[in-house]
Amino acid sequence: MISVIREIRFAWYATIKNIQSSAELRASFLMNVVGMAINNTSFTLLWILFTQSVGNINGWAPKDIVGLVGFGTLCFGLVFSIGDGIRKLPEYVSSGSFDRFMLSPKNLLLRIATSSFNASTLGDVVFGIICLTLYGFLTDASGLQIALMFLLIIFTTLTFLGVAIAANSLSFLFVDARAVVEGTFDLFLTTSLFHGGAFQGFLRFFFILIIPALLVGTLPVEILKELSWIKLILTGALSMGWFILSIKIFEKGVRKYESANFITFGV
Amino acid sequence: MKELRLANKIVTTQIKDRIHYPGRLVADTLANIGRCGILLLLYWYVFNLREGTIQNTTFLLVAWSMFFYFAFSVLRLRDIGKTIMEDVRSGTVEILLNKPISYILYRAWWQLGGGLYSFLVIGIIGTILLTTLIGIPDTMMNLTFALSLAAVFILGIVLSLILYSIVGMLAFWIEEIRPIFWMVDKSVMILGGSYLPIALFPDIMYKLAIWSPFGASQFVTHTMYPSWTREWYSFVGIQLFWIAILGMFTYFLFQKAKQKLSVNGG
Repeated sequence: MISVIREIRFAWYATIKNIQSSAELRASFLMNVVGMAINNTSFTLLWILFTQSVGNINGWAPKDIVGLVGFGTLCFGLVFSIGDGIRKLPEYVSSGSFDRFMLSPKNLLLRIATSSFNASTLGDVVFGIICLTLYGFLTDASGLQIALMFLLIIFTTLTFLGVAIAANSLSFLFVDARAVVEGTFDLFLTTSLFHGGAFQGFLRFFFILIIPALLVGTLPVEILKELSWIKLILTGALSMGWFILSIKIFEKGVRKYESANFITFGV
Repeated sequence: MKELRLANKIVTTQIKDRIHYPGRLVADTLANIGRCGILLLLYWYVFNLREGTIQNTTFLLVAWSMFFYFAFSVLRLRDIGKTIMEDVRSGTVEILLNKPISYILYRAWWQLGGGLYSFLVIGIIGTILLTTLIGIPDTMMNLTFALSLAAVFILGIVLSLILYSIVGMLAFWIEEIRPIFWMVDKSVMILGGSYLPIALFPDIMYKLAIWSPFGASQFVTHTMYPSWTREWYSFVGIQLFWIAILGMFTYFLFQKAKQKLSVNGG
C-alpha cells in the first residue's frame, strides 16, 4: 500500500513538473490550451448540424452531442495530460530509449506515462468540463445524474487509458509499429466521437465489445438519459476489464522487448 | 525543364520510399476504415431510417461525396505546414534555402510524392468497393464529370498546398503554429464536407463552403451532385481566383520570411 502511495506521489510530482516546465513558454502554452478548445468545438458543431439536418435518431437530440463530446474530450485530456508518454511508446521502443525507463526504480508504466506532457491536452480537459456542465444544465440533471456523471467519468477514463496502453503496447510486436499503433488508436478515437444514436445492431455490438469506442461517450450519455443500471454495470465491468487486460498486454509486451544498441540519457 | 526534372525526381523517390516502407499505407488504410467506412455505414443506416432521401439527396451521392473527401485527405497535403514548421524550428530551412531550388516548391513536391502511393491504392480499392457495393450515380457517367473532376482535383491540390504553406510559414514569426493549423484544418474539414456532406449544409454554410478558400480546396466533393454539370466552370473560376490571391500572398510572405530568418550557429 505504501509503495502504491509512493508511486502516485511520484506521478503527481512528475505531472506538476511537466506542467510547470511547459508553462514557462507562456504564450505558446496558452495558445495550445485555447486552440485545442476551439478545435474541439468543430466536432460538436458538425454533429449538431448533422442532427439538425437528419432529425433526432433513436432519441438522440443535439444536446446529447454536447454530452458525447464532453465525455470524449475530458477523458482524452485526463489520460494524455498525465500520461502523454504512453503515446510515445512506439518511439521509445523503436529508438531504444525504452532501456532507460527499464532501469528506473519506479513503476515502469507510470514512469513512461509521465515522461512527456502536451499542453493542448489541458484544452481538452477544459473543453470537456465546459461541455459536461452545459449538458447538465441542458438536461436539467438531477443529483443522481450528476453523481452518475462523476462515476462515468472514472469509467470512461479507465477505458480510454486501457485502450491507449493496449494499442501502444503493439509497439513490442512490430519492428516499426508507429503506423499500426496510430491507425488502431485512430479507429477507436474517431468512432468514439461519432453520433451515438446511429450505432445499432452489429455495429453497436462491435464497438462496445471488440473496439470499446462506444464506452467512452455513447453509453455514458445513454446511461444518464435512461438511468439504465444494466448499461452502467456493463460500462463499469468492461472499463475495468479493459484496464486490467491492457496492463497484462503491456507486461507481456515488455517481456518481448529486446534492448537496442542506442545510448540515450534521461532525467 | 530543370524544375520539372527535379519535381519528377522528388515524387519518384518519395513513391519508392512509401512502397518500400508500407507503414503509412497501413495507417492510412486503418484511418480510412475508421473514418470513412464507419461514417458511410452510419449514413446508410440514417438514410434507411428516413426512407432513402434526406433534403432531396440520396445515400448514393452522399457516399461518393464523402469518399472523395477522405480519398483526397490521404494525400496528406496538410502536413506541409507542419513540415515547414519543423524545418524552421530545427534549422533545416537554412540548408534548403542555400540550395539552388525553390524551397516552397521543393516542399510541395515532397508532400505530394509522400501521399501519392497511399492515395492511389486507397483511391482505387475504395472506388472498386463503392462501385460494387452501392453503384455509381448517373451524374458521374459522363465526360464533363471526368474532365471537371480532374480540373478541380489538380486545382484543389494546389490550393491546399498554398493554404497550408501559409500556415507553415507563420513559424518564422510565431513559435507555436499548431493552434492556427488546427483552426485552418477544421475549417477545411467542416466546409469540405467531411462528416457532414455539403448537400446537407444549411444555406449560410453552403455559401461559405463555396466562397471561402477552405471549402474551395475541397470542391472534389461537389462533383457528383446533379447541379455540377451546370456550375462546374464557376467552381473552377473560384479556385483559380483563390490560387492567384493566396499564391501572391505566399510569395510575399516567403520574401518577408527569408528576411526574418535568423540562423544560430553552433
